[in-house]
Amino acid sequence: MWKDYSAEFIKRNKASSASIVAAAFISALFLSLLCGLFYNFWIYEVESVTMEEGDWQGRIAGVCADDIEMIRNFANVEKAEINGALSEGENLVADVWFSDMGSIYRELPLIAEKLGLDEGALSYHELLLSRYMIHDPNDPAPPLLMGFFLILLLVVSVSLILIIHNAFAVSMDARIHQFGILSSIGAAPGQIFACLMHEAAALCVLPVLLGSGVGIAGSAGILALVNFFAEEMPGRHEAVFGYHPLVFVLTMAVSALTVFFSACLPAKKLSRLTPLEAIRGTGDPELKKKKRSRVLSMLFGIEGELAGNALAAQKKALRTSTLSLTLSFLGFTVMLCFFTLAGISTRHTYFERYQDAWDVMVTLEDTEIGNFAHGQAIRDLDGVESSVVYQKAQAVCLLPESGMSGELLELGGLETVAGSAERTEDGDYMVEAPLVIMDDPGFEEYCRQLGVAPGTDGAIVLNRIWDSIHSNFRYKEYVSFLNGGQDTVTLQNAAEPEHTTEIPVLAYTQETPVLREEYANYALVQILPLSLWEQIGEQIGGAEADTYIRILGTDGATLSELNVLQNEILQATRQSGAVTVENRVQEKITDDAVRHGMMVIFGAFCVLLAAIGIANVFSNTLGFLRQRRREFARYASVGMTPQSMQKMFFIEALVIAGRPLLVTLPITVAVVAFMITASNLDPMEFLAEAPVVPILVFIFTIFVFVGLAYYVGGRRMLRCGLSEALRNENVV
Amino acid sequence: MEILRCEGVRKIYGSGGSRESALDGIDLSVEKGEFVAIVGASGSGKSTLLHILGSVDQPTEGKVLVEGVDISSMNRTESAIFRRRKVGLVYQFYNLIPTLTVRKNILMPLLLDKKKVRQEYFEQVVNALGIADKLEFLPNQLSGGQQQRAAIARSLIYRPAILLADEPTGNLDQKNSKEIIDMLKLSNRNLNQTILLITHDEKIALEADRIVTIEDGRIVNDQRRR
Repeated sequence: MWKDYSAEFIKRNKASSASIVAAAFISALFLSLLCGLFYNFWIYEVESVTMEEGDWQGRIAGVCADDIEMIRNFANVEKAEINGALSEGENLVADVWFSDMGSIYRELPLIAEKLGLDEGALSYHELLLSRYMIHDPNDPAPPLLMGFFLILLLVVSVSLILIIHNAFAVSMDARIHQFGILSSIGAAPGQIFACLMHEAAALCVLPVLLGSGVGIAGSAGILALVNFFAEEMPGRHEAVFGYHPLVFVLTMAVSALTVFFSACLPAKKLSRLTPLEAIRGTGDPELKKKKRSRVLSMLFGIEGELAGNALAAQKKALRTSTLSLTLSFLGFTVMLCFFTLAGISTRHTYFERYQDAWDVMVTLEDTEIGNFAHGQAIRDLDGVESSVVYQKAQAVCLLPESGMSGELLELGGLETVAGSAERTEDGDYMVEAPLVIMDDPGFEEYCRQLGVAPGTDGAIVLNRIWDSIHSNFRYKEYVSFLNGGQDTVTLQNAAEPEHTTEIPVLAYTQETPVLREEYANYALVQILPLSLWEQIGEQIGGAEADTYIRILGTDGATLSELNVLQNEILQATRQSGAVTVENRVQEKITDDAVRHGMMVIFGAFCVLLAAIGIANVFSNTLGFLRQRRREFARYASVGMTPQSMQKMFFIEALVIAGRPLLVTLPITVAVVAFMITASNLDPMEFLAEAPVVPILVFIFTIFVFVGLAYYVGGRRMLRCGLSEALRNENVV
Repeated sequence: MEILRCEGVRKIYGSGGSRESALDGIDLSVEKGEFVAIVGASGSGKSTLLHILGSVDQPTEGKVLVEGVDISSMNRTESAIFRRRKVGLVYQFYNLIPTLTVRKNILMPLLLDKKKVRQEYFEQVVNALGIADKLEFLPNQLSGGQQQRAAIARSLIYRPAILLADEPTGNLDQKNSKEIIDMLKLSNRNLNQTILLITHDEKIALEADRIVTIEDGRIVNDQRRR
C-alpha cells in the first residue's frame, strides 16, 4: 500500500508535504539546540568545578605513606595521590579517583574500614560527583540538574508534538475521502495507519538530520555569543564548544519520538474512521456554536467576520502560536522594562551616587586601622588624587530631647520620623552612632572640605536625619538631627553600656565625607580622626573587622589607568594579609556585561518562544492549500474577489500577531506600574528611558514573520484555480 | 428576450499529447425566464459547461454572453463580481460556509457588495423555501434538505440573471428532491427566474421547459417541451 499509494502521493504532491517537512525540521532544530546547549553547559560546569576545587573524587584524611599503596591496590581505584596542601607532617590526606565513579559511596567506606579509619576521615567531592549524577544515597535532597534537563526536554518535546501534529493532521485530514475509498475497498485500519506512519518517516528523515545539524551549529553560535558578552566577567573561564556522539544519538532518538507521536495522533484517528465516515467527511474546520466577531465585523466588514470565524474554527490548530506569542511578548516587554528599572535603580543607589566618591576601593581583611602603616605610601602613588584609610565602628549616643533640632521636632520628633525610638530612664534618647574612623590626613582633608580648621582632637557630627514624612527612600530629603548647641557628644559602648566617653565636637554638618558608604537613616553618624580613636577605642569598642582604603584617581581616569593604579596598590598592600581591590570602572563594565548577558539569555528565551509560535503559524499556513481550499472555493463561488480574500488573510495575520500584543500591553503596564511604585522611582524617569525601540522592533519582527507566513500560504491559495477547487468539490 | 448565448464554446484540458476536449463547439441560447435542464452521461461535459456559464472557468475558445456582456475574457476579480451579481450557483453538496449562520450565508452575495438587504424580498424567499425558522442556525445544524434550501435562497438573493444548479438533488432523498425541484419551479414561475439545471435524472429533467442533451462535449439534442 505504501509503495502503490503513499510513495506516489508524496512524489506528486510535494507542495502539500512542505508543512510536514518544515515542522520536522523545526522540531529537530529545537531539540538539537537544547541537547547541544545542555551538554556544553554540563561540560562547562564540570570544568568550573574542577578548576575551582580540583578533580579528585574522594578524599581520605589521616593515612600514612604505606596506606597509599594499599589504596591503589583496590580493584576499582584508578589513582590515589597524597594531597600535599592538606597534609601535615605524618598526617597525610589522600585524594582518590575511581574507575567506576558510580560506586564511590559504596567503596570509599570499605577502603576506610580496611585502613582502620572511621567514616569521619572521608570526604566526597559532592559537587563534581553530582554533575555525573552520582548522589549520596543518604542525601534526602540531591541536586537535580539532570532531572531538570530531562523534564525540560520532555516539556519541549510535548510542546513540539502539539505544534507539529497539526501539520500531519492537516495533510492527513485533507485525504480523509481518499482513505475512505481505500477503506471501502478493503484496506484494514492497521494498513492505513502503517501507510501514514511510513509516509511520515519518509518525509521526516532528511529534515530531522538537517535540523539536528543546524541545531548543533546554533548551539556553537550561542556559546560564542555567551563568551563574547561574558568576556569581561571576573573569575569566569571561556567555554569551549564540545559535542559527543551520544548527544547526537539522544537528539535523533528524541526527534524521532517527537515526529512519531506527532504523526501517530492524527494517523490513529484517521485509521479508526469507518469508510462511510471517511467518505462523507469533509475535514472542514467548523464552529461548534454560533460566533460573531463583532469588532472585526465592525472594522473590516464581512471579510472581518469571516476571518474572525475562520480563526475561531482554527482555534485548536493555532493554540500553540497564541500561547507562545503571548508569552514571548509578555516575557520580552516585562524583561526589558524590569532591566531598565533595575538599571535606573542601580545607577541611583550605586554608580551615580558614588561616581565621584571612589575609583579604587581596598578592603584590608581583619586589619585594625591603627595597624595599617601604608596609608602615606598609597597617597604618594602616581595617579592618586586623594586617599583615605578608614574603619567603621558601632556605638550608641545619648541625646536629650532638648538637643533635637527644631525641624525634627516640627516633624513630630524622632518617634514619628523613625517609627520608634528608645529612651533611657532619664528620658534621653538612645540613638545608634555609627563611627567612621579616618586616618589623620584623611580626616584633615575632610575638615578642609567642610571649611573647618583641621584638627585631630574632636569629631565631626553628620547632623542629619531622613525626613521619611516628606520623601521616599529613593529620593531622600534630610533635616538636621540636632540643634547644634552642644560642644560635646556622649558616646556609649554598644555592648557594655556602662562604658561611656565624652568627645569634643569640631563641627556639625550635613555634608558627608567622600566615601563609598551608605549611612543609616535615623542614626547620628560621627567621623573621628584615628588619633582620637586611639584614645577612646578601648572604652567604646564595636570596631568592625575590616579596614578600607578609598582612593580617587585623577579626574576622568580610564580603565587602563585604574588597572595600573590597582596593581600598584596591590604591591603596596601585599604585606597586609588578605586584600580585596575593586575598581569602579571595571565594576561598571562587569555590571553592564552581566546585565547585558542576562538580557541576551532572557531575550533568547523569548525569541525561542516567539519562534515556536511563528513556526506554528507557518505550519498552519503552509497547510492552507489542503485545509482551506474548499473554504475559499465556497467564498469564490458566491463572488468573493481575490482582493477580498487577501483582505481576509491580512485580517487573520493581524489578529494572530496583534492579539498577544493586546493581551500583553495592559499586563505589562500593570506590572511596570507595580514595579515603579514598589521601587519608588519617578515614572517620568522610566518613561524617558523606556525600552520602546527594542519592544517595537520585536513586535514589528513578529508581525513581519506572521505576515510572511500568511503571504506564503495565501499566495499559494490564491494561485490555485477556483474551477479546479470546485471540480474537486464536485468529486466529493 | 435572450439572456444567455454561447457561441462555439470549446474547453480543452491538458496540453500536448494529453489534451482532452471537454466541450467541443457548444452553441446555446437561453431566453429570460426559461427553465432548461441539461442532461448527459457522466463525463459528457455538462458540469464543465455549467462552470463556464457561471464564470467559474473560462472557455479555451468561443464566447459566452450573459445579458449581452461577454464573460469569457473577464479577469478573476471581474468574474467574482459577475458571479456575485448575475449568477446563482447551487451545488450537490450545498457549499454553505460552515462558520456563518444560515442568514449570513444567504446574505453573503449582498454583504460582499456592501448592499443593503431588501427585507421584504428576503422574507419572501426564506418563507417560500421554508427556512425562516432556521436563519440563526449554523449549516451543520440543518438537515441536507434544509441546507440545500439555504443554498437556493443564497443563489436567489441577488435576483441573478441565471440560476445554475449542478445536480441539486443528488444528495437528497426522494421527498426532499421533489420539494427542491418544486421550489426551483416556483421561483421560475413566480420570479421569472431563468434556471439551468444539470441532472442525470430523466424524471427531474422532465420538469423543465426545455431539455438539452450533451454527449462528448457536444449538444446532440435540444428539445422544447413547452
